Amino acid sequence: MRKDDRGRIHLKLVFYGPSLGGKTTALRWLYGKVEGLQKGEFTAIEDETNRTLFFDYVPMSAGGRVLFDVFTVAGQKRHRHQRKVVLQGTDGLLFVADSSPDQRDENVESFEELKLFLGDALGREIPIVVMLNKRDLPNRMSRDEMLDLLGLGGNVPIYETIAIQGVGVKRAFQAIAREVILKRMYK
Amino acid sequence: MSEPKVFDKILTDIIRQEKGIRKVILVDKTGLTIANVSKLSYYPVDVDSIGAIASAVFCASEEQGKNLQIGELEIVTSEFSEGKIFASACGKGVLCVVSEAEVNIGLIRLLMKKQGVQLAEELDKFLAVEPSTPAKDRELDEEDLKSALAELERV
Ligand SMILES: Nc1nc2c(ncn2[C@@H]2O[C@H](COP(=O)(O)OP(=O)(O)OP(=O)(O)O)[C@@H](O)[C@H]2O)c(=O)[nH]1
Ligand SMILES: [Mg+2]
Repeated sequence: MRKDDRGRIHLKLVFYGPSLGGKTTALRWLYGKVEGLQKGEFTAIEDETNRTLFFDYVPMSAGGRVLFDVFTVAGQKRHRHQRKVVLQGTDGLLFVADSSPDQRDENVESFEELKLFLGDALGREIPIVVMLNKRDLPNRMSRDEMLDLLGLGGNVPIYETIAIQGVGVKRAFQAIAREVILKRMYK
Repeated sequence: MSEPKVFDKILTDIIRQEKGIRKVILVDKTGLTIANVSKLSYYPVDVDSIGAIASAVFCASEEQGKNLQIGELEIVTSEFSEGKIFASACGKGVLCVVSEAEVNIGLIRLLMKKQGVQLAEELDKFLAVEPSTPAKDRELDEEDLKSALAELERV
């Protein structure tokens, strides 16, 4: 939690996960389709094929004096150092896992990397919500298989999402925003 | 918590010293814009995203320096056909100056270095809000957070 010169509270939320998992798609959907949130401009540092090179960024608020600075990281492996930079000062994480079976290893690798970067803070000081994305794929992995893969027990909120249609995205966002605020209020 | 106006004052001091400077922004290393000042004639821009990029670019260079083991990063200079951007470290923050193409680079570097020291000190006080927040401020924060929570459910 940080404050700007007008005394407004800023909370930083980051979408993390393997490349092509749907992070940018989910943020763009929130940006374009969710009426109740006030948003600033959408900043994207990406290549011609719309893969993120560094980050996407949108400031959002639900009204009042609390602002969410929402970022996505660049998921491709070679952008590891950029991800580390974007993670600085994160208050909450949305991990976007890809349900396609051929992304099994990529999901695991990305989640392991996140644990490595944040250590014990992950899930304790820094709350996390997991989105199992691309639930529209006919050959999607089962929910249980994915939770096993990521080693997730019952204490992390899980949302099944279809980012291209916006299914579940708003709920997942509300969930992480809520967790982050509660953490600030009752720590 | 240090008075936010103190940042405006230091940034204004910088912008006044060299007529080619258009904009001065102070960001922290998480991408948050803490303060900014502009020349009146300067066209409006989205300061939040400018700040987020400035911070990220500086931190990425810093990271690059670490990878290559070439010491501490002092300044990042970006030269464009119609302007320049300078970013330098100031403690927990990054000081960013946007100028016209033709400017006294030496003077700008000197200004940034000198004011950077003072900004670093003020930033330390400013960013230390959490432990030293007076009870009244904490209550206000709590109110803000509660109303955000309520708003969020209505989204
Ligand atoms: N079928 C399906 N496709 C999706 C879904 N979400 C995203 N996609 C597609 O997946 C591709 C990659 O989406 P992005 O949002 O760019 O992925 P990203 O996670 O931002 O990738 P990086 O920027 O490389 O980290 C795009 O072609 C999307 O249309 C989904 O829920 N279902
Ligand atoms: Mg992306």
